[in-house]
Amino acid sequence: MESSLLFNIATLAYLVAMVLYISYLAFRKDAIGGSATIVTASGFVVQTIALFLRWYESYQMDIGRVPLSNLYESLVFFTWSTVLIYLIVEFKYKTRAFGAFVMPVAFLALAFINVAGISSDITPLVPALKSNWLFYHVLISFLGYAAFGIAFAVSMIYLLMDTQERGPTRNLFTGIGAIVVLALLGNFMASQGEQLKTAFWLGLGALVLAWFIYLISVGAKHKSQVFLFWSLCVTMTMSLLIGMGIDFVSLSIHPLAEGESFKKHLFEATFLNSSAPISVLSWAAVLALFWLIWSQGMRLKNLLKQYMPSLDLLDDVTYRMIAIGWPLLTGGIITGAVWANSAWGTYWSWDPKETWSLITWFVYAIYLHARYVRGWKGTQMAVISAVGFLAVIFTYLGVNLVLSGLHSYGGIN
Amino acid sequence: MENQKGIIEIAADKVWKFLSSVKLAVALLIILAIVSVIGTMIQQNEPPEKYLQEYSQATVRVFEMLGFFDMYHTWWFVLLLFLLTANLTVCTLDRLPHTLKIITAPLKPIEEDSLKAVQFKKEIVFKAGMDKAEERAVKVLNARRYRFVESKSADMTQFITQKGVYNRLGVYVTHASIILIFVGALIGAFFGFKAFLNLPEGSASDVVYLRNEPMWYKLMAALGIADSPVIHNPEVGVPAMPLGYFVRCDSFDVDYYISPLGQPTGMPSEFHSTLSVFNVERRKILDKRIRVNDPLTYRGITFYQSSYGTMPEGRGKILLNVRPKSSPVSSGELVSIDPGASAYVASIDRTIKALGFAPYGVRDPASGRVMFYRSQNDEYVNPAVELEVYKSNKLLYKTTVMKIDPAQPLLPEGYTISYGGYWGARYTGLQVTRDPGVWVVYAGFILLCIGPLIAFFGSHKKLWVRIQDRKGQVVVTVAGTVNRNRLGFEREFNIIVDEISK
Repeated sequence: MESSLLFNIATLAYLVAMVLYISYLAFRKDAIGGSATIVTASGFVVQTIALFLRWYESYQMDIGRVPLSNLYESLVFFTWSTVLIYLIVEFKYKTRAFGAFVMPVAFLALAFINVAGISSDITPLVPALKSNWLFYHVLISFLGYAAFGIAFAVSMIYLLMDTQERGPTRNLFTGIGAIVVLALLGNFMASQGEQLKTAFWLGLGALVLAWFIYLISVGAKHKSQVFLFWSLCVTMTMSLLIGMGIDFVSLSIHPLAEGESFKKHLFEATFLNSSAPISVLSWAAVLALFWLIWSQGMRLKNLLKQYMPSLDLLDDVTYRMIAIGWPLLTGGIITGAVWANSAWGTYWSWDPKETWSLITWFVYAIYLHARYVRGWKGTQMAVISAVGFLAVIFTYLGVNLVLSGLHSYGGIN
Repeated sequence: MENQKGIIEIAADKVWKFLSSVKLAVALLIILAIVSVIGTMIQQNEPPEKYLQEYSQATVRVFEMLGFFDMYHTWWFVLLLFLLTANLTVCTLDRLPHTLKIITAPLKPIEEDSLKAVQFKKEIVFKAGMDKAEERAVKVLNARRYRFVESKSADMTQFITQKGVYNRLGVYVTHASIILIFVGALIGAFFGFKAFLNLPEGSASDVVYLRNEPMWYKLMAALGIADSPVIHNPEVGVPAMPLGYFVRCDSFDVDYYISPLGQPTGMPSEFHSTLSVFNVERRKILDKRIRVNDPLTYRGITFYQSSYGTMPEGRGKILLNVRPKSSPVSSGELVSIDPGASAYVASIDRTIKALGFAPYGVRDPASGRVMFYRSQNDEYVNPAVELEVYKSNKLLYKTTVMKIDPAQPLLPEGYTISYGGYWGARYTGLQVTRDPGVWVVYAGFILLCIGPLIAFFGSHKKLWVRIQDRKGQVVVTVAGTVNRNRLGFEREFNIIVDEISK
């Protein structure tokens, strides 16, 4: 299929763009920045053509459907939306500072699809998905996700730039201690059966939530706490992505028995591995990553300081992205509801995907109210934006991997 | 003691204050976000055995008490939603009059002391005279499409202007939309119902089986005002809702995706039923072929294609289409035969005996032989029928016809026999709903799409340009306020100041 070839070219273009954007930050040469933009834009054009080609190919195969309906296609489309929104931000704000942070995500997502061997076959649609609403629903939702993704990236930059000092080494050890204790506890509880495993996840969720609330209420005062939060967020995002990547790879080598669901085996290749050395090693890797990020964070900040736009502007970009993402998410929920009503006669059935999209919607609604009514700015808002994106990630991937419901495309088979 | 408020007024005041606070809104949003998670972690509305498999008995008891197995319909969750709606309503009523006042307020010159507190302010000394300064200001404001009013005194001229004042209503549109959606959902719960109906091919029903009874009927029955039309038959176990007409399943079929080799794959591409509606006198009113995503609606009740199945011990009729070889399918004669029986077809003067029906036959195009497979859940992936053709009582030949055939069946004579269906052994699973609130919800959806756009992408901008003669020196003061998007306005403000001072 020609579309696969074009997708590979786009992946390559994003890799080159990523290198260029990072060297642009390092050398600050306009020529480098300009070529980074050109490479990104060309990669985007190629990917757009590839998407349409895949659409066309599906008609040639007599299946004839929008390329937006399985994990492969949704990840490709997520990348496409992210690059689109990034290019708009770059053009609007006339800054190339974010490229070095967004393009790695675009490249890694596409590379991950290739490495993990997620099936790129054009599969036919089940009858329920055969509706014109599919196109609008997915298009709008993913543009929203992409806007939130960029809001998250920018608020992470904000938190880093906002940090004055990394705080006492005590913080590092607290973080490491927390990871060790939680890892041991999690492994133990998971080994004691399904009920305790669920209890552990719920408890962990509650703990994280409590910390968020603490950070939001006193965050602006304790910058070193915020830095700890930042390093943990970055560590967590990277570890989860890498862990899931390894899961995908190992499952594509040793596929599950038919009918068995992937969700029961999440992270079993790494953090929850039955062999003690492997699981200890994975956790040690997380700790090392955390230590690296925590101790090098300030160096990164000092490197970025001269290139980054003002904190006010970073805050404004985050807000703008959420102000774009929230109506898009609303639109995604509404098109989904109207579609569900035309297919099943209920516009809302509290299916996990619906519920999680609503939770995400609530979180960003809180963001907007805190900003408009209470006039919050800066650190707290960046933390809420991070919480929101966590909900987005869970809505997009977590629900399909961990929970069960009506949205089928996330399946590993 | 006229000034003192009664206890009720104080309480009402307190309740109003409580309900109109944004803190309550944010708190409710946080609580709703957190508790909603629970219902996604614990599977909802499963049979009790399944819960006992996953959780211990004590846990199940606690969860049951808290309503975690049908969490989104528990009284406390609905109460939270009610509170949120009440909060939105009161917030709107509380703040809308003030906003309307701002919108309708006439433009007034800015006073000296409010000038100090204004968001954006810049003073420039204008080189040329007052007239030139005024001219300049008018030109700049006109070019940027600011419509202004002018106020003049002896040594001072002020231009007052604003833009986008109606953008202040965006937030109310958004809030009203959510209230509408909630009201629509309530109307649905009170006057609507969700039901199901498994209708075998060829049969009709004038009731559907309820998943939830309209709350209005329950309420009226409980108050003794009116009897609920819902039929509670203990033998059936499920409450039945009379339709007031009959709905009949004329036929049902499933299409499967075809592999590149021309064989069905067993993966359904579409399933569809033809439904007819009859009135109580059994006169046919209409019919429609429904499929997933394309339902039938009659008298406010909608029938959705939702599932299908084979009836236990169901026996259908084999349908065959017989016609001269050159003519199209539509011109053929439809012959109906019970499996194992035979029928005389006058148009070709032959007797056809149908030996049996197989749900999944595949013909090897090279050898012409037919293999029979088992299908999952008795699906009729590619039905095949073995036939014997007789003249008088003499067997002429045996053949097999099937729904999708990559090759030709053996048909040595001048006519064609093709598979026309296996009728009467399957049922169509229909989801049936009545929801009079859905249009209110949709109206809310439309407003919810528009409201945030007005609220986020517009802003109410106000500008004052004051031109003052201070002892022969012309001083131009530009002041501005904006309710949103400060950075964007700041940029515009600076450009305006630049253009005036040029």
